[in-house]
Amino acid sequence: MKILLVGGGGREHAVAAAFARSSCTPRLHCLSELVNPGISRIVKDSGGEYYVGDPNDAETVLKYALKAGVDFVFIGPEEPNFRGVPDALEKEGIPCIGANREVAEIELSKASMRDLQWKYMIPGRLWYKKFRTFEEAAPYVEEYAESVALKPARQVGGKGVKVIEDFQVYLKEEKKRVKKQHVESIYRDYMKGYGDVDFKILIEERVWGPEYTLQCFTDGRTIVPMPAVQDNKHAFDGDLGPETGGMGSICCGMNLKWGVNDERAILTDEEMGKSAEIVRMMVDAIQRETGRKYHGVVAGQMMLTSIWGPTIIEMYSRLGDPEALNILAVLKTDMVEICEAIISERLNTVKVEFEEKATVVKAVSPHGYPLSRDLAKGHPVVVHDHEEGVFWASADLKGSGIVESGGSRLVECLGVAETIPEASRIAERLTSKVSLADGWGLFHRSDIGSEKSLERRIMLANMAREIYKYRERRGILGRRMIWIPGKGLEEVG
Amino acid sequence: MTGILGIYLFDERWNVGNFGVYGLMALQHRGQETAGLELIGRSRQRLSGRGLVEDVLTRVDAEGHICVGAVSPYTVEADEDVQPLPLGEKVSVALDGRITRVEGYSWDGSVSYESNLRRAFARHACGRSEIETVKEFFDNCKGGFAYVAVNDRMEMAAGRCSLGVKPLVLGKFGFEGGIIASESCVMDVIGERVPISPAENIDAGDAMVFTPFSARLVKGCSPRDKAYCSFEYVYLARPDSYVNDIPIYRVRRNIGRRLSEEDRVDADVVIGVPETAIPFAMAYSNETGIPIEKGFELTGRRVRSALRPDQFERLKGVQLKLNVISESVRGRRVVLIDDSVVRGNTLANIVYLMKEKGAKEIHVRIGSPHIVSHCPFGVEVPPEDELIGRHLSEEKIAEVVGADSFKYLSIEGLVDAIGLRRGELCLGCFNRVYPEV
Repeated sequence: MKILLVGGGGREHAVAAAFARSSCTPRLHCLSELVNPGISRIVKDSGGEYYVGDPNDAETVLKYALKAGVDFVFIGPEEPNFRGVPDALEKEGIPCIGANREVAEIELSKASMRDLQWKYMIPGRLWYKKFRTFEEAAPYVEEYAESVALKPARQVGGKGVKVIEDFQVYLKEEKKRVKKQHVESIYRDYMKGYGDVDFKILIEERVWGPEYTLQCFTDGRTIVPMPAVQDNKHAFDGDLGPETGGMGSICCGMNLKWGVNDERAILTDEEMGKSAEIVRMMVDAIQRETGRKYHGVVAGQMMLTSIWGPTIIEMYSRLGDPEALNILAVLKTDMVEICEAIISERLNTVKVEFEEKATVVKAVSPHGYPLSRDLAKGHPVVVHDHEEGVFWASADLKGSGIVESGGSRLVECLGVAETIPEASRIAERLTSKVSLADGWGLFHRSDIGSEKSLERRIMLANMAREIYKYRERRGILGRRMIWIPGKGLEEVG
Repeated sequence: MTGILGIYLFDERWNVGNFGVYGLMALQHRGQETAGLELIGRSRQRLSGRGLVEDVLTRVDAEGHICVGAVSPYTVEADEDVQPLPLGEKVSVALDGRITRVEGYSWDGSVSYESNLRRAFARHACGRSEIETVKEFFDNCKGGFAYVAVNDRMEMAAGRCSLGVKPLVLGKFGFEGGIIASESCVMDVIGERVPISPAENIDAGDAMVFTPFSARLVKGCSPRDKAYCSFEYVYLARPDSYVNDIPIYRVRRNIGRRLSEEDRVDADVVIGVPETAIPFAMAYSNETGIPIEKGFELTGRRVRSALRPDQFERLKGVQLKLNVISESVRGRRVVLIDDSVVRGNTLANIVYLMKEKGAKEIHVRIGSPHIVSHCPFGVEVPPEDELIGRHLSEEKIAEVVGADSFKYLSIEGLVDAIGLRRGELCLGCFNRVYPEV
């Protein structure tokens, strides 16, 4: 058994570790831009090779897949999916775990995703507007956009999203100015060079509530939901500071329980069921639209909102990072077996099981991340004692044996225990295992998975639940009615 | 009892000028003599003056994504002493309360408080301005205070003294940054609507430090008992704020209930003196079943009259603020509830007006214990020889103000109403016992 893993981040390190646990003892090869020290070791131990190259380039991936003569390719990040890497591989008869270009549209284009959701009337759909140019969007922002999320309409590595609550009239002018500036920079900076989508700017209504990621394996026929994971997007403790790719994540049971033997949970079983149903409907819809089969991982990045209950914020065409670490740490079923079942479209015959454990991941990043990544890059890393539970993310193993920081999250530390707070304490201890030799600072969030933070999330979920349940009872779930004086009752959505 | 504010946003495109102005308006009740705002962005600009926020900060044409601001109840001589206070060229601070000494610096009684702080800082910093240096300086400061300081490097530190005398909270502004303020009501006015809690309490001795790369809470060592100012709960803070995670309104309601329990009185109507005593009166009425009525109507703008420096202003304030509605009191036995008595002359004025409008009996109940002492931490209490409660018994005060009975809330009652341990509170203005600094 030979496998090529594409991508070299924390998520891929966790995937590599899952493959290494397989009873098939596969020979694992990896292709990524930087040499991930953790994957490098696993690859070496398995007798495989580490290729340095562009994982987004179909020809490069194909070349190494052929060279290594692999049984299948596992694609970690989203960008290779967007560039049609799975399509190119399948054309050559190489099976691939990774959404093909057409079905990956649900992540590539956030505008197409919403179009699809509305076309098929899939629940949890936010109200939105899409624009081709800044000039097209500007008058809308000027006149209407109030509390909104401003997004690049394409997935651009999770960057460029700005959420502005615009409620106080006396602060309106300033917020409008910043909104316009940001929409302009979405168009001119974040979307620069991406010619693969028509619509460049997406404006959505702002919602609040606890967020969670529902990742699923799919072979296009069956959808297997994994336990819900909650990521923490703010850079700093107490949910403060700029948005990141994710500073850490928590998971316990299917529905984000406090602990293995605990009644308290962020989500109810019913909400989990609804969320999985929404993801299933999205997969059905994109398959029907494109006529293509979805082979790989699909995930709903969701929120429990007061308007809808389970609501889609964005879709992923791959595992989340760091959410993958939580899931793969408790995955009992053989990862190779799951991949083979996806390839042969008999996922329904595999019993995918997860251990009942609480997991907490904490990412450690160099100062400068996420707003000034250049400053975070190129610092030599020191590892203290053994690396058990430490997953390498944005790190580059140089020929000299020195590891340098890559500018994003450096390592992701995983704690596993009976309760989330216990797992959090384990992950917290692991964060001190790395430092930078040149004295440049590292940071992480100490509050992820703490009792206080869990209590807050449960409270927030209860508040959103209280309101959406009222809407459900009244039969107005997801409906928004506005009385326009002189015009009458208008309904949005 | 200065109101202090700090806003730190990470995206340099923001101009927080208006956020600063409205944030300070939400703190206006803490000080009405001076207002000031310093904006930090590509440049640093300071706007300040004497008067209310809406008079002083009318045109904010300055720019910056970081700001520090203050509203203060103190009259100052020099413009440079208006808060936020420049501590030299590079550092400015908004300071609530009072620093009574600085470790390693000998206080010079011949120059002003502000000059002493500047000298002490200069000696400590020796020209440096890194935020660690600034924070260390305030760690060396002793007294009862909270601060928000900024430097010339786009950094901000905000913290509370180890006794925790003065309040300070941290609020969030989505993915954009954080807001520091004396009271949580600021977050309701300029922050995001957060369904769970408006703000995080910053504990005694702790400090929040913001830099372009980080925002972190630095725990301080605060081994001794706390000395949270009890006057915040009785009078200073807004009823929609939380202080030390305790909702002010809950304390005010508890005070009204305690007043009704401590001394029962037969009466026909309960009337609260606006604004602070209204929740006391509502709770008193709910507890006793004696109906509550609106007793006063205001003329002109609402101002906090009790702590105005001169008597003419105070009386003018009371007379314009408190015109008695005769229909509420005529022929009735009134329980009149006020928040505090300092000199007693405004109370005398109210009782006189009520009797003149036909009140049959007036039983005055005060929602705080008697004020007997000057505050070393900056709460504006007049000299002790002016304090009526320090010199006269309750019975005598009743006669002086012309009421049929007069009772204070007991100190035990106040401690119970706040719900903290006695060892966590500073009750100095009521019992002359001050924490050791």
